[in-house]
Amino acid sequence: MTLIAVPGWLESILPMIFVGFAGFLILAIGMKVDSGKAFSSITFVALALSLVSVVWQSYDPVAGSLVTFNPFNAYFAAILIISSLFVTFPALRNLTERRDIFYSLLLFVTLGMLVASFTMNLVVMFVAFEAVSIGTYVMAGFHKTRRALEASAKYFFTGAVSTGFIVIGLSYYFQATGTFDLTAVTIVSRIPLLTALAFLIIGFGFKLAIFPMHQWAIDTYDGSENSVSALLSTGSKILAFMIMLKLFVVGFPLLGQSVFIFFTILAILTMTYGNISALSETRLKRLLAYSSVAQAGYMILVFSAVAYAQYNGMSAGYIQFIVAAGMLYSLIYIFMKGGAFLALNSIGKENPGLEDISGMGTRSPALALSFTVLLLALAGIPLTGGFTAKAWLFLSLINVKLWWLAVIAILNSAISVFYYFRVISYMYRKEPLSGVIISTEKSVIVPVALAAAIVVALGIYFYVIYFILPFVGFLVGG
Amino acid sequence: MIIQWLIVLAPLIAAPITLAAGKWKRNLAGIIASLSIGISLAISGITYFGVSSGSTYQEQFTWFSNVSYGIYIDPLAVTMALMVSFVSLMIHLFAMYYMGKDPNRHVYFVETSLFTAGMLGIAVSSNLLEFFMFWELVGLCSYLLIGFWFFKPNATAAAKKAFIVTRVGDLLFLIGIVALYEGITTSALSADPLGIQYLITHSSAVLAALGSTKLFFVTVMLLGGAIGKSSQFPLHVWIPDAMEGPTTVSALIHAATMVTAGIYLVARVYPLFVAAGPDMLYILAILGAFTAFMAGTMGIVMNDIKRILAYSTISQLGYMLSALGLFSIYGSAAVGISLYHLVSHAFFKAMLFMSAGAILIALMDLRDVRQMGGLWKKMPVTVTLLFIGSITLAAVPFTSAYFSKDTIISASWLYYSGNGSIMYALPWFLLELGSLMTVLYTFRMFFLVAIGKPRSFLAEHARDPPLVALIPVAILGFFSLVFGVFQGSFYNFVSGFSVSVKPVPLEIELIPLLMLVLGVAVAYLIYGTGAWSRLKLSRLPGYKFLKNKYYLDRLYTNVIAERGILPLSGAFGSFEDSYNTANVRAGRGVLSFGSLLRKLQSGIVENYFLVIIVAFSIIFVLVDLMGGF
Repeated sequence: MTLIAVPGWLESILPMIFVGFAGFLILAIGMKVDSGKAFSSITFVALALSLVSVVWQSYDPVAGSLVTFNPFNAYFAAILIISSLFVTFPALRNLTERRDIFYSLLLFVTLGMLVASFTMNLVVMFVAFEAVSIGTYVMAGFHKTRRALEASAKYFFTGAVSTGFIVIGLSYYFQATGTFDLTAVTIVSRIPLLTALAFLIIGFGFKLAIFPMHQWAIDTYDGSENSVSALLSTGSKILAFMIMLKLFVVGFPLLGQSVFIFFTILAILTMTYGNISALSETRLKRLLAYSSVAQAGYMILVFSAVAYAQYNGMSAGYIQFIVAAGMLYSLIYIFMKGGAFLALNSIGKENPGLEDISGMGTRSPALALSFTVLLLALAGIPLTGGFTAKAWLFLSLINVKLWWLAVIAILNSAISVFYYFRVISYMYRKEPLSGVIISTEKSVIVPVALAAAIVVALGIYFYVIYFILPFVGFLVGG
Repeated sequence: MIIQWLIVLAPLIAAPITLAAGKWKRNLAGIIASLSIGISLAISGITYFGVSSGSTYQEQFTWFSNVSYGIYIDPLAVTMALMVSFVSLMIHLFAMYYMGKDPNRHVYFVETSLFTAGMLGIAVSSNLLEFFMFWELVGLCSYLLIGFWFFKPNATAAAKKAFIVTRVGDLLFLIGIVALYEGITTSALSADPLGIQYLITHSSAVLAALGSTKLFFVTVMLLGGAIGKSSQFPLHVWIPDAMEGPTTVSALIHAATMVTAGIYLVARVYPLFVAAGPDMLYILAILGAFTAFMAGTMGIVMNDIKRILAYSTISQLGYMLSALGLFSIYGSAAVGISLYHLVSHAFFKAMLFMSAGAILIALMDLRDVRQMGGLWKKMPVTVTLLFIGSITLAAVPFTSAYFSKDTIISASWLYYSGNGSIMYALPWFLLELGSLMTVLYTFRMFFLVAIGKPRSFLAEHARDPPLVALIPVAILGFFSLVFGVFQGSFYNFVSGFSVSVKPVPLEIELIPLLMLVLGVAVAYLIYGTGAWSRLKLSRLPGYKFLKNKYYLDRLYTNVIAERGILPLSGAFGSFEDSYNTANVRAGRGVLSFGSLLRKLQSGIVENYFLVIIVAFSIIFVLVDLMGGF
């Protein structure tokens, strides 16, 4: 279905045009006026238009050389746009100066994400990825508080190192395969490919915050402003996940076993580390940060399972199912995690602890209920989207006979219930603290409630995975 | 979506609305609940005309894998739906008077409308699993309603007892469903292995798939569910205690509807029982007949008016179950015969309970029949209604039970004469004796309540309730009297073919009447004249045995529960304790391990890179050791 009568190639890049144009527009307007409302509205409209044009266009199956427009890529593009959309209005609350810069940054970051999602070429992917990284370095420190600056600095240092790893990894990859085009990998020389594997896992693992490259994430999510944390833990994380999905599902065909062992060890360590560390954490943002490390552990189970299926010679159907489970997980994850971070906006205190959330159940029942739903989802309780996501992911593991891995993941899930429920019990069972303001503004509640509603809807519509499955065919051939 | 969904959905949706509205205005609750059940009744009525002109209403959706949910309405289902919604509506109307002063009456109506939804759900379910879920819903509502006056310790104990005893049956039922599902699925016979329609139309295929032994097992398990819910021997012990709930609850749940769910279950999947063989059918016949007799004997010695009625309910349910065993006489029309008694019993037992409820309100909840007496003069209308109920229960000629029950007794004679062996005479014999018992306890109760002189202060000052409140009771009374007219057409409708009542020798036909005359005479001589207070009846042999309810309660609590289950649960408990302690310790350990891990998070970026290098070195070694590189 064509929305606007434009040439095919223009239609395909329409989403990026909307976003990029709006970014420059905001910069231009920002020279004269400083109206946060206008900037956020423009951003929102541009992102919404971009989302619409991503979802409602007919993708020609013809693959370009550098950019590839297909439903698989569009699916991730849509998720990434949504993650930016979600923080657009909430970010306005704590912005005091140079709001034009912040929103144009948000748009350029999204542009980078879009470019990265629509390519199968590693160089383009790398450039787009770096564009996102640099934008987010600035955003993390945008509020110029001591904590934010420290967060940004740590993020930048580790980010610089990760870039180095990626570049080295890519050069080895080129040496091994002779191409940067993931769709055209043919000649494989083993030793450099192994080196590339290790370097690329480390490089991209930083952004996904998997153990042991996760430590910056705890500090950065903790120190940044809530909506920036939300973006970092959703958009930029899913971006890394998507890139790794393309890279490791398609790009390392002969290394099945190595990839499997590598990712299995990493997944188990990441899940367990994240969950166990979160158990005794009392600062809310750090708790959510640890939980997001644990979630990254669940996500990279996808790579283990795919690699396992590949080297056991299972048919493409199995792999498609696993990838679809990972895609579903990313979709639900951005709502759960993004919403949870945004819910912390309501607490009128920097670096809130568990006790600061006491009595939210009586002070702001709607917000408390929504936050509860999101936490339940993160814990994977049935009838929430979190259960749908985890259930399909674990089922896909069982489907390829990785019983033991599924059991470990489920045990981890069980451990995580403890710290999520502790937050809930603080909200409902403790008396409110006197000095803490819990805001009940609409701008705080609406995005959280919306995320909660979507999460519940995805929980009830359990078979949503069958909607995603057809997209996978564009990544993994049947 | 066909309109018939509303049969279930109307009361289901009404339940939360009732709660909300009832919180606002208490009296609104009863009206909303009654209205919603009126809707169910109206749609059941419409459906009846559709079904009687030959159509079957059904609609199914896939729930998961090969299990569906939906509605399936054939003559049997619509009969049940009509009966449930009609009786429930009458009882709701009466309850607006009976519960009129209770501060929590809105909760009562929420629970009864939820209950009615569950019961109607049972009636129209298209799938055995869905059936089971509604079955559990009514069990839950029964529990809640028995314990409605939760400040009475008796009531909460009775609620627990009812829940636990029926739970035994429910577990058996669930095992039956699982075994059935497993058997059908492994031989991949059907796309909808638990679909009611499939089960009743393909019973021979099911038999072939499961083999006769396994199908026998399945039906025994299903029967186990049925005897739990329909309180047949040996799981009948919960009903008498359940009388601690409000009387309208007894009328609705423990007389007219829920307890018939077990009978309905057997009737619903009757072809499976037939396919399981004549032995299974004999079990139905003998179990029902024995329960009918045994409960009757206990009914004679009870003094609590509601408990007398409760034992009578058990006994009458025995007749229904027994009728289902008489396949060899009437073929699948046995279902019709059983259902006919079920419906007529629902009418007269509900009205009996409600008249008893009216009496109890007048007597400030004095339930002992020995302290009543002379109420016919004090509250003429109520006791007249009680009289109508009593003669129907005793199957006085031309009341509805005369047609419904005596047909079962006659058929049980044919069952004997058709099979010849003395073993087959037993059901008939027990059912005949049971009918004597019925007459005895019925008229004992009636004479003690109605005639003679008032034997207590309260009985002297009893008054009729407002007549408006008794209208629903009177309507049910009217149906109790005239429902016999529909005997033939009812059989034909439910069975789907023309059924003729088979003749039996005149002397056999006369035995129940003889029993009636005998019973009324004995009851009058002892209880009508006041002789009972002079006679030392409790000295009679066997009295103690009956009074102690065959010692079954004692067997269950003192032997099975105290000697068997409590020690076992104690053992589990101490294991659980040490397990918990270990768990807590492990939890503490994990927590402090977590704190230790967080020490890695020093906040110094240089250290982070150190962590990466160390961790990755270890990981590389691991990968290499596991054969990765």
